[in-house]
Amino acid sequence: MMSLFNIMNMAGQSLSVQQQATAVAGQNLANVNNPAYADEQLQIQSATPLQTSVGQEGTGVESTAITSLRNALLDSQIVAEGSVTGSLNSQQSALQDAETYLDEQISGSTSSDGGTSSPNGLAADLSGLFSSLQTLSNDPSNISDRQAVVQSAQQVTEQFNQVSSGLATVASNLNTSIQNDVAASNQDLTQIAALNQQIIQAQASGGSANDLVDEREKTIEDLAGKMNVTTAAQSDGAINVSIGGFTMVSGGSTTDNLGTVTNANGQLVIAEGNYGAPVSLSGGSVEGSLTARDGALATLQSSLNTLAWQVISQVNTVYSKGYDLNGNTGQNFFTGSTAADIGVNSTLVNDPSTFQAAGVAGAPGDNTVVSALAQLANQSNSALNNQTLTQNYAETVSTLGSSLQSVNDQLDNSTSVSQMLASQRASTSGVDTDTEMTNLMQFQKAYQASAELITTINEMMETVVNMKTE
Amino acid sequence: MRIASSSFSYNFLNQIQQLEQQQNTLQEQATSGLKVTLPEDNPSVMGQVLNLQTESAATTQYQNNITQLQAAATTSGAAMTSLQTLVNQANEIATEASSGTTSSTQLSSDAVQVASLIQQAVQLGNTQDSDGNYIFSGTATATQPFVTTTDSNGNITAVTYQGNTEAAESQISSKATVSAQVPGANTSGSGPQGLFTDSRSGADVFSHLIALQQDLTSGNTSAISSTDLPALTKDDDHLINQISGNGVMQSALTAASQMATTQSTDLTTQISGDTNADLAQTMTALDQTQTAYQAALESGSMVMKLSLLDYLS
Repeated sequence: MMSLFNIMNMAGQSLSVQQQATAVAGQNLANVNNPAYADEQLQIQSATPLQTSVGQEGTGVESTAITSLRNALLDSQIVAEGSVTGSLNSQQSALQDAETYLDEQISGSTSSDGGTSSPNGLAADLSGLFSSLQTLSNDPSNISDRQAVVQSAQQVTEQFNQVSSGLATVASNLNTSIQNDVAASNQDLTQIAALNQQIIQAQASGGSANDLVDEREKTIEDLAGKMNVTTAAQSDGAINVSIGGFTMVSGGSTTDNLGTVTNANGQLVIAEGNYGAPVSLSGGSVEGSLTARDGALATLQSSLNTLAWQVISQVNTVYSKGYDLNGNTGQNFFTGSTAADIGVNSTLVNDPSTFQAAGVAGAPGDNTVVSALAQLANQSNSALNNQTLTQNYAETVSTLGSSLQSVNDQLDNSTSVSQMLASQRASTSGVDTDTEMTNLMQFQKAYQASAELITTINEMMETVVNMKTE
Repeated sequence: MRIASSSFSYNFLNQIQQLEQQQNTLQEQATSGLKVTLPEDNPSVMGQVLNLQTESAATTQYQNNITQLQAAATTSGAAMTSLQTLVNQANEIATEASSGTTSSTQLSSDAVQVASLIQQAVQLGNTQDSDGNYIFSGTATATQPFVTTTDSNGNITAVTYQGNTEAAESQISSKATVSAQVPGANTSGSGPQGLFTDSRSGADVFSHLIALQQDLTSGNTSAISSTDLPALTKDDDHLINQISGNGVMQSALTAASQMATTQSTDLTTQISGDTNADLAQTMTALDQTQTAYQAALESGSMVMKLSLLDYLS
């Protein structure tokens, strides 16, 4: 049988358990808006019973552990989906930048003839050049018509230059963000290792380190957004992290790190630190940046360069055979060889009389060469898959649009999945204010009851002590 | 399913954002009247529009070419008609002179008249357009086509052609070219026929007029009737051919212009069809989205206000 003092102890222990439970409820309430936090619960059980002559007698309540409601499967699904979303986000942003630089935007009211068109891009500029050549062919010696041709040609070359340099800027920005993400990832790995160390120590001395686990999970999710990771939970509470098949974190220390190197083709790629081996990724914003840079952007830049070269070489081939108003021949119309350096012959810019419009010398009304130049608009080119210059360009624009449209659709899907997973996780480990408030009231009542028990035992003890005075 | 406090606001915000995005898209479509503006909206339509707008610009340009050709054809047609009038006048003089009933005084005054006709014909031959290009010099448009040699009495004894026999062509459609130029003279026997002189038709206006003038001066009426009159008749026939050719060309240009206008309209319609938003549909969808947005806001704010804390005293 329990003595009075034992009962008082039991009441005292109950008070401290209720207090602990209140503290846990308080902790939950404080973290209600913390998205990385998992709801904690105090596990209580009856204390070891006493064997008495009338059977087992309970000795009160004791707390055994503070557990947090985490679902490891959901966590790993969220990590995986985070990589997918991260990759698609950086692809979308890169491709949208490229689309902006291309400047092909349909508008209904601002085109020169009032019709619907995309007035600012290369398609309209090429059209303008061939139109001005046609106008010149009606009056080949007309100086202002010649100036108009030079101006239209300059618009074409400037647009090529601008788009090309814009795309180069996008690629360079991607490289910068890749380097930044790699540096941030290394920091995340260091942090995960440090948290692993602390968690191992905490678990070794008994109990679980819930808040450290929450923080580590958040860091892993951040890392996964940048590069896809593979995690392996260890029995001592640590989580080992590998990227691209290389172990980066093992227990409480980092075993490898990541860096960027320039490969044989002059491109920036990811490599691991110990052997310099290339790391191939399949998700995360770094992978997205690489995919955009080496995929759609590279294709776009190369298509524009091919188109620019065709414009330059075909025009020059026809033009160089023509004669200008001074009887000279053999000059080129365009200079350069790529979209970045295409330009108009500066002699021509300064003196439109040097435009070689005629097929023979001494006949200023001869328009053979300028007509042939105008006709290049309708010529199919074997180097461009038997398309005309504009058809080839339209296909290039369309290809970029398709890539971006596909990324947009995939991103919508991935965002929906992420939201659904986040919702499920909130339902498992989120804090509900109403529940915590209700629990608080429960613990408060229990505290009151235990305090009342102490008061009662106190009075009983007084009675016992006062039994002698007589 | 257990609902955490954060779940509700998280889901609510996601739904609101989706509705806002839809509203934004529809509102932009309603304002611009276009359902495709960027390549990402509809890549294949974008590609088509770029090709169509190029065709449309080309068609507009062909119309410009046609207009310029029509102006050139009108100018040369007027000159041809004036020239034919001159030749007719010479013909009448020659006919009258060869009848044998004209006095020598009349013959002398006829000679003076014919001299004047020659000068007018030379002026016509050296017509320039508004840019100062000679229209009857072939493609040597900076070179004066007809140069005269005069004798001591101031009479023109020879007219030499300094232009060439080429005619520049302009594009009136993607497949057809037309030339509005007529060289002043062509004695090569190939290429476009010369206006004043042509070896194939036997016309040689200047030489024949000069010969007539000289025969009138010398009073050689038999030469006038046996040589000059038939020669001038050949000239007249040649000019009639040229004028009718010019007329045919102008009709062809008008027809091509109408075709280009039709094509232009078709292309504009096609582009609009591909890109324009159906305003009625867009406004209806926008209305629905706005209603949904309003409902979401109202219901969300009602639920968010409730909490157990309000009821715990």
